[in-house]
Amino acid sequence: MTLLHWIGDFLRHQLDLVPLSTARWLMIGLYLILMFWIIQLPSTATNPPGRQGTWRGDLKIWAWFALMFQILIYSVF
Amino acid sequence: MAQLTSIDYLVILSYLAATMVIGLWVGSYVRSGSDFFLAGRSLPWWAIGMSLVATDIGGTDLIGVGGDAYRYGIVMGNFEWIGCIPAMLVGAFVFIPHLWRCRVTTIPEYLERRFSVQLRSSVAACWLFLMACNLGVMLLASAVFLKSLTGWDISVCILITALLVGTYTWSGGLAAVVYTDVLQGVVMIGGCLMFVAIGIYEVGGIEPLIDKIHTVAKGQDQQDALQREQKMTAAERLAFKSKKTRHDRPAHESEHLSLVLPVDTRSPGPWPGILFGLGLIVGPGYWIGNQSIVQRALGAKSEYEAKASYVYGALIKNVIPFLVAVPGLIALVKFPELGHERADVALPQLVGALLPAGFRGMFVAAFLAALMSSVDSYLNSATTLYVNDFYRRFYRPEADEGQMLAVGRWTTIGFVLWGIYFAFQLLAFPAGIYTIFQTLLSFFIGPTLAVLIAGMLSRNASSDGAVTGFYAGLLTSVGLFSLNQPGVCRRLGLRPLFQVGQPYLYYSIWSFLVAMMFIVIFSYFLRSDPPEKTRYAIGGTNPEGGAA
Repeated sequence: MTLLHWIGDFLRHQLDLVPLSTARWLMIGLYLILMFWIIQLPSTATNPPGRQGTWRGDLKIWAWFALMFQILIYSVF
Repeated sequence: MAQLTSIDYLVILSYLAATMVIGLWVGSYVRSGSDFFLAGRSLPWWAIGMSLVATDIGGTDLIGVGGDAYRYGIVMGNFEWIGCIPAMLVGAFVFIPHLWRCRVTTIPEYLERRFSVQLRSSVAACWLFLMACNLGVMLLASAVFLKSLTGWDISVCILITALLVGTYTWSGGLAAVVYTDVLQGVVMIGGCLMFVAIGIYEVGGIEPLIDKIHTVAKGQDQQDALQREQKMTAAERLAFKSKKTRHDRPAHESEHLSLVLPVDTRSPGPWPGILFGLGLIVGPGYWIGNQSIVQRALGAKSEYEAKASYVYGALIKNVIPFLVAVPGLIALVKFPELGHERADVALPQLVGALLPAGFRGMFVAAFLAALMSSVDSYLNSATTLYVNDFYRRFYRPEADEGQMLAVGRWTTIGFVLWGIYFAFQLLAFPAGIYTIFQTLLSFFIGPTLAVLIAGMLSRNASSDGAVTGFYAGLLTSVGLFSLNQPGVCRRLGLRPLFQVGQPYLYYSIWSFLVAMMFIVIFSYFLRSDPPEKTRYAIGGTNPEGGAA
C-alpha cells in the first residue's frame, strides 16, 4: 500500500460518513450560491447595450429560471 | 430492431437532404478565413445556444446514456444537469465575454497572449491529439450503433457519415456547423420527445412507470448484491450489509430514481465525483476550455449574444436528461430480462418494439442528427486549432484571409480522411479501446481549466508557473490512470487506486488541484510576467483599448 492508497482510503472513509441528505443539500447549495451571485450582477452585464429595462432581454431572469428548475429537480430526485 | 420501411427511409433522406442544403447554402457566403473559422463573428444567440446543446449530445451518448440509465438509473442525468448548467452560467457571465472581448479565434491563442507560446503550443497539441483521435472513435462507435439500428454495413456507415459531414463542414466552416446544428438539435429533441411520449403512454403513464422502475430495479439490485456478497469475506460482508441499511431511502425504492448516490455505488456517479469532479472541474473545464464548444460563442455577433447563447443553452439543458435517460428507464420496465450485460441493446430493441413505421425513421434521423452535430464540431475545431495555432503561428504568419480559407478547407479534407482511416484501424482493436480515447478528455480538462482560471482571474499567475502547472496536472492524470490499470497494479503488487468502476471524474479533480498548486508555487517564486501579458486577465485592458 502506497501513500496514495492511504490518502484515497482516508478520503473515501470520511466521505462515506457524510449522509446522502447532506450531499443533496450541498448540490442544492451550489445552485443557491449561483442564484445569489447572479442577482447581484450589475444590469449592464446582463442586458443588451442600450436596451436596459426590458425584462425579456435581461439574462438574469432566464439564468434564474434554469437554476430554479435545477433546484426543483435535485429536490425531487 | 425491426426493419426500416420505405416511409422510414423517406424521413431519413429528407433530414439528410435538408442538412446538406442548409450546410451548402451557408457555405456559399463564406469568403475568408474569418468567415470559415468564426462565421465572420455574425452568429445569433439562438443558433449558438442550440448548437451548444446539439454538439454536446453525440450519437453514442444518445444510445450510451440510454443503456447506462437502464443499468444505473437517472443518476446519468447529473452529466447534463450539475455537469453543465452551473458551468454554462458562470461561463456566460465571466469567462465567455472575456474571451470574446479579447477577439481570439482559439483558446490556445488566448493562452499565448496571457502567458507564453510554449503553453499555447502544448495546450493546442493536446486538444488537437484528442480531437483527431476522437474523430475516428466517434465515426466508428456511431457506425456500430447505426448498424444495430439500420442493419447497414459498418464500412458504409463510416463512409456515408464522414462524406456528408465532411462536405458541408468543408464548404461552410463554423457557420455551416452551427446552422446545421440548429436543424439537428430540433430533429434530435423532437425525435426523442416523441419516443419518450409514446413510451410513457405504453407503460400506462408516469406513476405506473415510477412504480415499475422501483420494482424491477430493486429486484436487480438485490440480485447484484447477492452476487457481490458471494465474493466477499465474512468481515467485508458485514461491512457491506451495514452500509446498505444506512442509505436514507424507503425500503421499497431502488437507486434508479436518485441523483445522489453513495460513495461505494456501482454507477459512474458517486456523489463526491458528481459534485466535486463533474460540477466543479469537468463541467467548467468542458464549457470554458473546450475549443469545439467555446468557438461558437467566439463567433457571436456581440458580447451580449455570446452570453445569451450560453444562458439559452443552459435552459435547454434542463430537459435533455428527460429525453435521453428516460428511454433507458422505459426499456428497463419493458425488457427487464436484458440485465446489466446487455443494457446497450435496450434502446434499439425499444425502438423496434414501440415505434411504428415512419416514427422509426424519425428516431434514426434523431440519432444521425446527434452523431453529425458532434462529428462536424470536432472536425471544424480540429481544423481551427491546426490552422491557427500551428500553420499560421509557426509557418505562415503573413497568410491573408484567402489563404487561410484555402488552408482551412484542405485541412478539413485531411481530417476527414484521417478520421476514416483511424476508424477503420480501430476496427482491428477490442471495443475497450474507445474508453481509453474517451478518457483522454479527463487527462486534459483539469490542467486546461487550471491555467485558464489562473490566467483570467489573477494577474499574479506567471507563464512559467502556468507551463509547469499544466504539465504537472497532465502527469498527475496519466499517473493516476496508470496506477488504476489492472496490468500495472499486478506488476507492482498493488491494488487499484480507485474503487469505482470509471474513476475519470477523480482524475480530473486531482489533476486540477495539482496543476493549480504548481501554478501558485511557481508563480510565487519565479519571475512575474510583464504588463503586456497580465492585462489579458479579467479587468485588464486589451491592445485595442477596450476592457478585457
